[in-house]
Amino acid sequence: MAAVRTSGEVALNRVAIAAVIVITLVFLAPIYWIASTAFKPRNLATTIPPTVLFQPEVSPWVKLFTKRSQLRTQPTPEEYEAAPWWERIVFDGGEKVVRDGRGNVQWSAYPDRFMNSLIVAITSTVLAVGMGTFTAYGFSRFKMKGEADLLFFILSTRMLPPVVVAIPMFLMYRMVGLNDTHWGLIILYTAFNLSFSVWLMKGFIDEIPKEYEEAALVDGYTRMQAFFKVVLPEAATGIAATAVFCFITAWNEYAFALIMTNRRAQTAPPFIPSQVGSGLPDWTVIAAGTVLFLLPVAIFTFLLRNHLLRGMSFGAIRK
Amino acid sequence: MATAVMTRLDPQSRAAARGWSDLTIRNLFVIPTILFLIVFNIFPLIYSLGYSFTDFRASTNAPANFVGLQNYRELLNDPFIWSNFAITAKYVIVSVVGQVIVGFGMAMLLNRDIPLKGLLTTLLLLPMMLSMAVVGLFWKLLYDPSFGIINYALGLGTFEWLSNPNMALYAVALTDIWMWSPFVMLLSLAGLSAVPKHLYEAAAIDRAGPLYTFFRITLPLVAPILMIAIIFRTMEAFKTFDLAYILTSQPTTELISIRLYKMAFQEWQTGRSCALAYIVLIMILAITNIYVKYLNKVKER
Amino acid sequence: MRKTLTGLLAGIGFSLACGTSAFAQELTIFWAEWDPANYLQELANLYEAETGVKVTVETTPWSDFQTKAFTEFNAKGSAYDMVVGDSQWIGAASEAGHYVDLTEFFNKHKLAETMAPATVKYYAEYPASSGKYWSIPAEGDAVGWSYRKDWFEDPKEMEAFKAKYGYDLAPPKDWKQLRDIAEFFHRPDEKRYGVAIYTDNSYDALVMGVENAIFSFGGELGDYATYKVDGIINSDKNVAALEAYKELYKFTPPGWAKSFFIEDNQAITENLAAMSMNYFAFFPALVNESSNPNAKGTGFFANPAGPGGEQFAALGGQGISVVSYSENQEEAMKFLEWFIKDDTQKKWAELGGYTCNKAVLESAEFQNATPYNKAFYETMFKVKDFWATPEYAELLIQMNQRVYPYITGDQGTAKEVLDSLAGDWNATFKKYNRVQ
Repeated sequence: MAAVRTSGEVALNRVAIAAVIVITLVFLAPIYWIASTAFKPRNLATTIPPTVLFQPEVSPWVKLFTKRSQLRTQPTPEEYEAAPWWERIVFDGGEKVVRDGRGNVQWSAYPDRFMNSLIVAITSTVLAVGMGTFTAYGFSRFKMKGEADLLFFILSTRMLPPVVVAIPMFLMYRMVGLNDTHWGLIILYTAFNLSFSVWLMKGFIDEIPKEYEEAALVDGYTRMQAFFKVVLPEAATGIAATAVFCFITAWNEYAFALIMTNRRAQTAPPFIPSQVGSGLPDWTVIAAGTVLFLLPVAIFTFLLRNHLLRGMSFGAIRK
Repeated sequence: MATAVMTRLDPQSRAAARGWSDLTIRNLFVIPTILFLIVFNIFPLIYSLGYSFTDFRASTNAPANFVGLQNYRELLNDPFIWSNFAITAKYVIVSVVGQVIVGFGMAMLLNRDIPLKGLLTTLLLLPMMLSMAVVGLFWKLLYDPSFGIINYALGLGTFEWLSNPNMALYAVALTDIWMWSPFVMLLSLAGLSAVPKHLYEAAAIDRAGPLYTFFRITLPLVAPILMIAIIFRTMEAFKTFDLAYILTSQPTTELISIRLYKMAFQEWQTGRSCALAYIVLIMILAITNIYVKYLNKVKER
Repeated sequence: MRKTLTGLLAGIGFSLACGTSAFAQELTIFWAEWDPANYLQELANLYEAETGVKVTVETTPWSDFQTKAFTEFNAKGSAYDMVVGDSQWIGAASEAGHYVDLTEFFNKHKLAETMAPATVKYYAEYPASSGKYWSIPAEGDAVGWSYRKDWFEDPKEMEAFKAKYGYDLAPPKDWKQLRDIAEFFHRPDEKRYGVAIYTDNSYDALVMGVENAIFSFGGELGDYATYKVDGIINSDKNVAALEAYKELYKFTPPGWAKSFFIEDNQAITENLAAMSMNYFAFFPALVNESSNPNAKGTGFFANPAGPGGEQFAALGGQGISVVSYSENQEEAMKFLEWFIKDDTQKKWAELGGYTCNKAVLESAEFQNATPYNKAFYETMFKVKDFWATPEYAELLIQMNQRVYPYITGDQGTAKEVLDSLAGDWNATFKKYNRVQ
């Protein structure tokens, strides 16, 4: 490994580092722009040239969590004074907070949708990765007739354009009462991610030498014990990598969330763009919703990043 | 299939006697998944196959009439549909090729001694963690000729990315490339880092040129995992809907899934859209089948 | 695996438990995500205060509104008790039995007399002139125009305009003036453009825009009673109207090929265009100084007349209907009875809703309430609408397919486009046995 470095190689490496930095900047520019928009006052969101230096504001975040409507008459000074700080921010934006019949402030749907997203994405990821690992092990270690066809069948389930299955799925869900429930979406996303999970996990498990298990079996383990105590720990990195991908897919799914759920179980992706609706888009609020929604998945990926990198190289390739 | 089990262990052995038999375990591990997928994929498919031979409209309560192959016949004779397919093919090629070039290129660069490599790689994955609908929304703003920052940054004036019929599809593909190149990068990086170093050293000793090394050592060894990335990206690109639908509505960007969506959920021609869905499905199946065959061949080498 | 199965069963059990617990004291109204829905929620709050029945207005983005509503209808879902649905839906929703027949209710309360005639005709009645009613006109809306009053009133501009065109610069009286003013203000060098129009072909935006031209030029889309289209949709008047619309496209800001209400409002707030077409319901955002920095310099006018002096506008807006799968139909009817009261309608207008109540519309109080209410009032008595037959969406898509490449891509001539469209529509009507 200790390669002798020529000056040419060093120069080449410097060029590569410079290129990587440039590419990273280009790729992250739109994300930086979205993130900075989430702290801008509304009138600076679409300026040309783009505003880089500005006084950060919390107004997008206040708006993200409240239900608002256009102010038709200005509040009286007394009303304004009596209002809490966040309501004043809304007043300053030319809007008022919507209240229900009992005078309670109506929160936006965002927090609920966010929770729904967490419930649905986490559960479906656990299920998809769990089932995927078992199935991949089954395919990897035991021979069966038509194995290739079965694997292809599993892959093919991911090829269906969502609109193909949307109508029958919807009718089916209605029949069994899975409409607008967390489990409805969880099952869907699990089915969605299973193929990916099986394919990826099979690659990882194929790489774990069979001798490990056989040694365990000789030592008096049952097959199940060998699976849990020997194979699973070895496959941990692969499981982590698969989980990241499944989580990202489930977290961001849009079409089915829109059609299959209403107010009880709807996840956040259909909600965030809907902030555009009232005649003029408030990009700052959409950006705030986007940034907050990016956090869990980014943190999850960041925590598993070492597994992800190692896991990818460990699995899916033959030596 | 149940009788075809071929365990490496003697069924009478101590190990097998202690727990469940391998057959049981295999069935326990594999069959639930298959059943699950059958219930949630095959059942709806059969349902829509039935409808594809009728004039059923989900928006009315009128009973469905059997019309035989009429839907398929009319669809295959509709010039608009064929242009939708041509557009989709073009989009898939541009977008997937772009992702492979950019993603693989980034992986080649990152496969060196780069400081903060782990952090950089994770940061580069951020675009694919966003939701398609949000990406569409913001990129429409980025591309805007009057107040988008792309034209500003590149000094393109009022260049019309999305309303120029010849440019729009490339603009959509560009956004897709931005979003999904990191995926290809990650998988390629995995493949690259698994290439044994001694092969490169041997090549260096043989004074092999960089091109030779790349095509004879790097590419063949990374090919299998790259193929997996390509399969999944091709399938996803074929299904692209939200992104293109939100960004632009040019006739030159009407991908087949957009046409399908309009037919199914705006016109409510349920029967006919089921037929179109089947045509699409058969095409994807055929393409993927070819891919998978090729992948297996590559793996065997 | 066991976990999955238990989960599955638990999920089914859970949802069944929830599904059966319908609250009689709660009503859900489904609408699109926009300000009027917030106003309706405020109005409904008053109803709750009076009666104790909680009414929730549930919303979804405009782009998904149609899909979501019909997916729910088609599955005979009871999630919504009432829906404030688009005028074009009425044919599909009534023929399929999604809406409750409100004819009796309508006649009992003499709504045909108290509501503006056009709203009764287009939001409530189907088939045309049948005397059968399916919804209560709730939110009147039509396409109008906003313009930059500050640009129009700039003395230098006024002088230059008069010198060039020979008449005074003022809100256009007809489409010829509309074109002239658009041309006059179209200055790409200064990043200022003439006019913002609808061009989005993903649903009905472009068609609405074109309708504005067609109706004011004295044209029609077809005979809504006999489904005859040939010679009507491709009449000389319509050819001229389509050419006029295409002419306007020349003076739009760059990249104006997928524009709807958001883009058209932005054209005013971002100093892009001198005039902008939009639904009245989206104008509140333009008079609000926080969202429109040019609020003080923004004025409004009704869709101008065509060359023959006829003046019409494309209809938007919605009526409120009772969903026939609702488990709370009686409660819903009670709510509607309250909703149509004159007092409620007055309150509705005060909150920001566009009432269809004739008396309220005619009151000076309403007309002076906002800078655009007068233009709205004028427009609501001369509106026309698209086909309302159940297959309207197919007609819409066919029109988009033909017209869009002509307007934005300069393909074919207006005559060719409309002739082919007449052919498409005729074929569709034949398919559904509307014509022989």
